[in-house]
Amino acid sequence: MADRPTSIADAVTTSVRVEAPPDVVFEFFVDPEKLMRWMGRDVDIDPRPGGRFWLDINGSDKASGEYVVVDPPRAVAFSWGWEGSDLVPPGSSEVSLTLIGDGGATIVELTHSGLPVGQDVEHLKGWTHFLGRLQAAGQRQAPEV
Amino acid sequence: MLACVDAVARALAEPTRRTILQLVRDDECSVSEIASHFAVSRPAISQHLRVLQEAELVDVRSEGTRRYYRARPEGLSELRGWLDEFWSDRLARMKIEVEQQQWREKKGQRSREDS
Repeated sequence: MADRPTSIADAVTTSVRVEAPPDVVFEFFVDPEKLMRWMGRDVDIDPRPGGRFWLDINGSDKASGEYVVVDPPRAVAFSWGWEGSDLVPPGSSEVSLTLIGDGGATIVELTHSGLPVGQDVEHLKGWTHFLGRLQAAGQRQAPEV
Repeated sequence: MLACVDAVARALAEPTRRTILQLVRDDECSVSEIASHFAVSRPAISQHLRVLQEAELVDVRSEGTRRYYRARPEGLSELRGWLDEFWSDRLARMKIEVEQQQWREKKGQRSREDS
């Protein structure tokens, strides 16, 4: 579409209910050992605003950004991108999480916003790269879930 | 969803097909108009167009014996669904890890209370 060569896609949103209180769940976003259990093989994080957020998802695909919000046990947000991706470079999109207490459980709401979509040749290249990475990450992860 | 992503990723991986998409982005073009931009044979272009069509990245309209192609912008936006799935899977995994930890802790507490 000519009028939106680099427009922003609608945010991706999803949520999950976890049978544990928010303070326990929050640790899984800021404690390196706990984050690694569900998100990657290696992490390098400094959980404070402006601090590093880096994940090795599967040995070759690396997500990189910075913590933007660290508000225990209610909210955490980090910028997000892929190392080596022109389309979604490190820190170019944002993932924010809200933790809502519900009895002894927690509703975790995730929003991934700022994702570019376009039909420019450069963007298409970016998509190919980005999708290849996500796909590889998804397939490698699937048997373990 | 993976099949759809596969088809799109494969379609976009080829430079000629990316250029074709660019050509038909704003206006529909006939096969011969598209082919005139490339040094490769017309059957080769038709083959590229077929791949793009299978990935639902282009729409095709027939008029007599001519076929006109146009980019289908929704094609790429459908990939958003795949990202939805990526995060849903990740959060599902996080849920399992947290709940297993909770269960282990509760069990540990109980066995301490019992002894």
